[in-house]
Parts: sequence; C-alpha cells; structure tokens
Amino acid sequence: MRSLWQLLFRFHVFLLFLLLQGVSLALLIRSNSFHHASYVSSSNHLSGLLYARRAVVAEYLRLQSINEELARENALLKSESPVAFLKLGDNIYLHNDTLHLRRYSYTPARVINNSVNRPRNFITIDKGLRNGIDRGMGVANKGVVVGIVRDVSEHFAVVMPLINIAFKMSVKLQRSNAFGSLQWDANDPAIIRMTDVPRYANPQRGDTVSTTGFSTYFPEGMLVGTVEDYRIPEGENFYEINVRLFAEFYRLSHVEVINNLLADEQKALEQLSIDRND
Amino acid sequence: MIDALKHGLRIAFFLLLQGLVLNRMDLWQGWVLPSLYIFGLIMLPINTPRVVLLFIGFVTGLIMDAFTNTGGLHASACVLLTFLQPLALQFLAPRDGYEVGQQATVHDLGITWFITYGGLLTLVHHSWLFFLEQWRLTPFFSTLSKVVISSVITVLLMIISQYLIHSSKDRRNA
Repeated sequence: MRSLWQLLFRFHVFLLFLLLQGVSLALLIRSNSFHHASYVSSSNHLSGLLYARRAVVAEYLRLQSINEELARENALLKSESPVAFLKLGDNIYLHNDTLHLRRYSYTPARVINNSVNRPRNFITIDKGLRNGIDRGMGVANKGVVVGIVRDVSEHFAVVMPLINIAFKMSVKLQRSNAFGSLQWDANDPAIIRMTDVPRYANPQRGDTVSTTGFSTYFPEGMLVGTVEDYRIPEGENFYEINVRLFAEFYRLSHVEVINNLLADEQKALEQLSIDRND
Repeated sequence: MIDALKHGLRIAFFLLLQGLVLNRMDLWQGWVLPSLYIFGLIMLPINTPRVVLLFIGFVTGLIMDAFTNTGGLHASACVLLTFLQPLALQFLAPRDGYEVGQQATVHDLGITWFITYGGLLTLVHHSWLFFLEQWRLTPFFSTLSKVVISSVITVLLMIISQYLIHSSKDRRNA
C-alpha cells in the first residue's frame, strides 16, 4: 500500500495531466453533439455580458449600414402594407378566427457574437429564456435560414449556424421538389454541401434551395441558397451539390427567432408512432 | 503576492484581447488564427510548481472555451501546453541553470532563446488545437499550413507585446 502511494506521488503531475486532459476532452465531445447543451458556452453570464458590451461598440461603428438596411426593409414593408393598396372591389370577407391558428411566432434579436472562420462556428444573440427563446428554435434573417438555437440562458442564446460542421438539416430543390440533406465541409463560409439528392432531381445551376418544413425548426419554403455546381460521384446514385448560401454570415447583425407553436404536438405524435413500431 | 497578481492580470488581459478582438479578426479567410492568449501562460515564472501550472492552464483554457463555444478544446490544448512547459524550460536551460529572478522573456534570456521556447510551445498548442478541432473533415496539409502560419504570427505578436511592455517600463525608469 505504501509503495502504491509512493508511486502515485511520483507520477502525480502526469496523473493530474491525464485527469484534466480527460475532463477537457469529455467536455469537448459532449459539446460536439448536436442535441446536447454544453456547459461551457457563451450563453453563460460572464461571456454573454462581455459580448453584449462589445456588440454595443461594434454596432455603433456600423450604424450607417444598419440604418440603410433597416430603411430598405421599412420601404419593403410599407409597400406591402394595406395603405399602399388601392381597394378595387367591395367584396366582403369574414376573417374567422377558428380557421386560422397561429403556427409560427417571430422574436427579433441582436447578434452579439459571431464567428465564421472556424469549423464549428457559433452565433450568440441577446435574447434568452426571458424572451421565450428555447432550444431547437429556428433562426432566420429576412426570410433566409441562419441556424438553430442550441444553448439558452436567462438572457442569451447560442445559435448553431448552417456553417458549423455539426449542423444537419433536410432541404429541397424548389424546382423539382427533390430532397437532400445539408452539411457544411468547413471550407468556405459562403458554400454548403447538399448530399443524397436522387438522380431524378435533375438540378440546374441557379436552382433555389429551400427548407422542407418536415422538421419543426422552419416553415416550409424558407430560402437557403442557390445551386452553384453539382456532380454525381463515381459509383454512386446521388448528386452532390454545392449550394451558395443566401445568408451573409460575415455581416449578420439582426436575426429573427422562429417559434413553432405546434412543434411539441408534432414531435409528440411522431414519437408515438415510432414507439408503437418497436 | 504582487507577482501572482501581476501574472493573473496578464492572463486575464490577454484572454480578453483574444476573446473580444483577435477572434473577430478574419485574416485571409480564416487561414491565420493567432492564439495570443497563451502568452500569459508562457510568461509564468520559471519555477512555478507543475500542479499549479496545470490548473492555471486548465482554467485559462476553459475561459477561452466559454468565449468560443468549443466545450473543452482550448482547455485540452492549454493543459498539454502547461504540462510540456517545464520540460521545454529544462531542455532550453542555460549551462548553469536559470538565475534567480530570471523571467522567460526576450529581455532576460535573449531573442533566439525566446523564439525557440515560445515557438516550440506555440507549435504544440496550435497543432493540438487545430487537429483536434478539424480531425474529421479537412485535409491534413491545409490544417498543417494553418498551424504553421498561425504559430508564426502568434510568436511574432508575443515578441512585439514584450517590446511594448518593456519599452514602457524603461520610459518609466528613465
């Protein structure tokens, strides 16, 4: 027993090294999975606050371009408001509430931290549990898919964007309605890879890629990008398509978080069917 | 005690610099990602007990991870760095050992010594960091060149910041 203690003491530095290394790697592996929340993340209080402070400064320096962006969006919205239309007929229609159930609600949020140059990029936003943000909600910017909320704290949330190698989502080619799955290959923040697209899809350069609406994250038909080039790898039956993303991750400042109000119902029902099959 | 405070503040300063400024720089499409925050670790006193060194490295790495949402990636690289640091110091020791009060700086031990010492540790840290981060998808040589380029820039920044610190000290003394 004594010699064991002696041995332990002799190698205590190395053993401590192994222990700390083990803890670090366990944290790393845990944080890599798509669905698990991570303990060490910028949704925590201190780094969240620091990022919020810096965002205030950075945003001040960019006020002009943000103003222009908002002005453009204002103009767009004004042109779509009822005031902008001339009423031609006087048909009466009833808006019956029982026929319209609200399915999605949108919460605006400000980007306070954003990385694009890593294989695992993340975006931190300044809305959290207090504002009704929860894990698994979709995040978009003017109708263009940005990512999915992965961690959330009282006042902040961390978004896993499309340009994170752990991100997976099914999308479709809008022209042929053929499905495929998206995954980033960590090369270019403007290009994402769409795989498992069947032969009959017949993609063309410039085709629009949009969401399927299968998952509970996004409504159907939200824009993702356009087909840049495509090929069928030798000996395979599926297309590999490079998609040029609409989202400009370099200059993201404001996003909307999409809350699918029927998500729980859909998930519970799907889970029921899966369970019954077993 | 004052010394401990000084080293703690230095680590905190370089962590903030890294987290709030350097990580936001997108140099050449992500090819250059200097990790200057390890400078605070590299500058720790030569005779720091190894256990203390390991814990400082672990905590520093975890804080960096909180900034970049990388779980334990930086913690892992920093633990490796602080484990190898005393070995590097031993390996590079002058013939008669280090003098009392000597610090691991350009000023005390010369520029060649510092480039070897800082370069070795930076290279180990960056290699571990980059390969652990991208082990799945990106090709070996592109990662290797990222490691080398980023390490060179990191060491360069370390040397520059040492001259900045020292020149301001000299001015005060004069």
